[in-house]
Amino acid sequence: MRDDEIMSSGVTRRTFLAGVGGAVALSVAGGTASAAATKEAPQLAALVKDGKLPPLAERLPKNPMVVKPWEKIGTYGGTLRRGLRGSSDHNGILRMVGNQGLVRWNMDFTETLPNLAERWDVNADASQFTFYLLKGVKWSDGHPFTADDVVFAIEDVVKNKDLYSSTPAQISVAGKPVVVEKIDDYTVKFTFAAANALYLENLATPLGQHPTLFAKHYCSKYLPKYNPNLDADVKAAGSSSWPDLFRAKCGDIEIPQRWGNAEKPVLDPWMIKEAYSGGATRVLMVRNPYFWQVDTEGNQLPYVDELNFGISQDVESLMLNVISGKIDIQERHINSLANKPTLSQNMKKGDYRLLSLVPSAAQQCSLYLNMTHKDPVLRKIFADKSVRQALSMGINRQEIIDIVYFGQSEGYQTGPRPGHPWYHEKLARQFTEFATDKANAMLDKAGLDKKNANGIRLRPDGQPLFFAVDVIPTLYPDLVDVLELVKAHWAKIGVSMKVNTIERALYYTRGDDNAHDAQVWPGPGGLDPMLDPRDFFAFHPQGSRYAIPWTLWYTSNGAKGEEPPESQKKRFKLYDEARSTADVNKRGAIMKQLFDITAEEFEVMGICLAVGGFGVIRNNLRNVPEKQPDSWSWPNPGPALPQQFTFTS
Amino acid sequence: MLKFIIKRLLWMIPSLFAVSFLAFVLIQLPPGDFVTTYIATLASSNEVVDQNTAAALRERFGLDQSMLVQYLKWIWGILSRGDFGISFEWQQPVSGLIWERMALTLVLALASLIATWAIALPIGVYSAVKKYSIGDYAFTAFTFFGLSIPSFLLALVLMYIAAVEFGADVGGLFSPEFETAPWSIAKMLDLLSRLWLPVAILAVSSTASLIRVMRANMLDELPKPYVTTARAKGLSEFRLLIKYPLRIALNPFISTIAWLLPNLISGSVVVAIVLNLPTAAPLLLQALMAQDMYLAGAFVLLICALTLIGSLISDILLALVDPRIRLE
Repeated sequence: MRDDEIMSSGVTRRTFLAGVGGAVALSVAGGTASAAATKEAPQLAALVKDGKLPPLAERLPKNPMVVKPWEKIGTYGGTLRRGLRGSSDHNGILRMVGNQGLVRWNMDFTETLPNLAERWDVNADASQFTFYLLKGVKWSDGHPFTADDVVFAIEDVVKNKDLYSSTPAQISVAGKPVVVEKIDDYTVKFTFAAANALYLENLATPLGQHPTLFAKHYCSKYLPKYNPNLDADVKAAGSSSWPDLFRAKCGDIEIPQRWGNAEKPVLDPWMIKEAYSGGATRVLMVRNPYFWQVDTEGNQLPYVDELNFGISQDVESLMLNVISGKIDIQERHINSLANKPTLSQNMKKGDYRLLSLVPSAAQQCSLYLNMTHKDPVLRKIFADKSVRQALSMGINRQEIIDIVYFGQSEGYQTGPRPGHPWYHEKLARQFTEFATDKANAMLDKAGLDKKNANGIRLRPDGQPLFFAVDVIPTLYPDLVDVLELVKAHWAKIGVSMKVNTIERALYYTRGDDNAHDAQVWPGPGGLDPMLDPRDFFAFHPQGSRYAIPWTLWYTSNGAKGEEPPESQKKRFKLYDEARSTADVNKRGAIMKQLFDITAEEFEVMGICLAVGGFGVIRNNLRNVPEKQPDSWSWPNPGPALPQQFTFTS
Repeated sequence: MLKFIIKRLLWMIPSLFAVSFLAFVLIQLPPGDFVTTYIATLASSNEVVDQNTAAALRERFGLDQSMLVQYLKWIWGILSRGDFGISFEWQQPVSGLIWERMALTLVLALASLIATWAIALPIGVYSAVKKYSIGDYAFTAFTFFGLSIPSFLLALVLMYIAAVEFGADVGGLFSPEFETAPWSIAKMLDLLSRLWLPVAILAVSSTASLIRVMRANMLDELPKPYVTTARAKGLSEFRLLIKYPLRIALNPFISTIAWLLPNLISGSVVVAIVLNLPTAAPLLLQALMAQDMYLAGAFVLLICALTLIGSLISDILLALVDPRIRLE
């Protein structure tokens, strides 16, 4: 699928966003939505009447953040049902609820918008960020949210060595953690040791949620600095140490306990009522009476009363719930190609429509030949660029696309997706043509011209050219099919390959030990080339699988791993430069130089452009954008603002 | 008898140690550890763990220590203060996690056990007495169907029909409104209205083999001279069956008690997962898959303790029921 669609519909989206941004700016400047005129959910109004809750005007900021609903003003009520898996699925909740950082993404995943910070200043070299917080925001227990909370979260919590033995990568630049200072009650300054031009984008991703995660008045009770009796409390709670108690009470960005404590104050639209714990069969969240956003008519968000996350042990029972209409919005766990026909067939019965996801990935199947292989002969062969080019041209991509992806893709290598301003034609399309003769000639020329009786080429040491490609069938069944076809294609050019289906922990262990011949994985960087450039140079120790030792050298500043060639070092430098350039156009020019080198070196081989996923939305759930980016950095559907999703009767 | 029981109880101690150590080793044998599995699971939804976090997690969970040290720490915790450790994933005490699910596990296991026996015993006796009758053939056919249909498939098919054709709410043991409500009559009725489906599915698969065993045992006993003698003395056919051959034919059932107890936990894993039942079995599988060592280890320890106790109980019962059996 091309991205022209989302880009062309981007016009309306931009207008929408301009609307949102404009409304925020307006409300800040003159107060278009005066809090007195705002409306609230009936059950909250009842609580106010009984005197159990302060009136709405006291709960909302004076100038609350205004969100323009996607389609129309919604009505209050309803329970939104969604499914979770039994284990390690806490991020399923995060994606729906926990997207309330200082800034947030726009719908196009191209720029950051004000959120809890109503505006910000960045200094010239992008090392200092001053955030002006939205005034009058309250935590879900009614306590004011101020600069003290942000300073506490970073200085006392995240930089505490007992809680975080190493500072999270996002707020650590040039080996030094950020310094956060309070300017006044609603102004905080973040100072980095060096330029960090990507900080705003990072702040909009889930891993950037730390500054607004910990309420000082609540979480300080679990820090020794603020609570001299903490040891006694730890004993009373039966915890083994204070950091354990802290995590159980206050959580962290992506651990189950974030959703395990109903009394923890939050800034999210909904708060936990029934927690996500080991024995839970569902997670129930109810509206936050102090949520600080309103719609364009001044109605307090969220519209939906409750979120009910059913916990399924098995994806099949989740599928059954979807096709019988018992799930309101779901894309997680069910969006495999194999499920699509079933879900399309049952649209009427389940009364739902399909949601299409634009992949943020570039490549459906990146093939990483281990260029730092422990076997010197294979290392030499894989390091030979002409061998990689020949192998790439030996693949019949059209056949793979037709058989495995129902014709829904196109031959591709890597790089920003077509339609992205940084799209790089050579990087994307070189050596994607199917040319067996050319491939054979190149392999002959590369010194692999002798063959054994079975027609398999012989390596310089006389062994047949054979290697295994690791793939995880439970995770990516389609990649197994792709590899089976590639195996047949390569057999025709005299290369013998084994499709090595393995369990996922083993896959990671083999990569970490540099014990693999080759591995496959979907290649990111299609919409988020700055956030995950693993296919453009040896960047990611668990991702750039063609040269893990080089990535270690890069991430450890040369202390570990293996020294990479000059072209890699040049790209490390260019990336660091791009990372510290605030101007997007200048950054693009630097990245183009980087892409030029990547295209020239051709380390990673791709099959086809990443195929879009899908999800289902019940027909009575409105205000849901039917096309969304699919990414961890844009943790769908969170940035589409579920607080303005609404049910029609 | 007492001496026998004490001897057996003493033998359990070294067996439990051996099994717990073996279990610990086995759980650790697959490549990687909890942290690798955790990262891999998140990666399957394209989610990333902060680069600096992985090493910190290993250190916090003690995964960087040798296996022996980890085992000794764990077993010492159990012996010294009954602490089975903390589940890595949930950061909750293991014992709490297991007990939380035990009540419903017991209800389900006992209900399906009673259902199985209530169906299997009479049919087994009937099939033996009326050998090669139409009824016998019908039951035989039924039992072989039950034996050959995998229970998870039966569960999926029944769920599909219930969900898609009747729009029923399937999966789980409670309706949404009762899920976390305190126990009440209404909640009990709700449980009963949902319990029949898993019980029926579990019973169908296990009755089959029991019926065959019962039938074969009875067929062994029926032609024996003592049956003829009893009949000659004028005992009614029903009393005769109950009083003599049935008692002897029951012996194999009593032996099965040995594995009934561990089955409480590890039986019906697949069915429980498919039907989304909040019993212990899915938690056990999850723990094994996530390499959540202490949780999985506690489960395995519990299962083997139950096996040992179960076989002791069945030996004692056998001795009580059948005077021919001697314990010495």
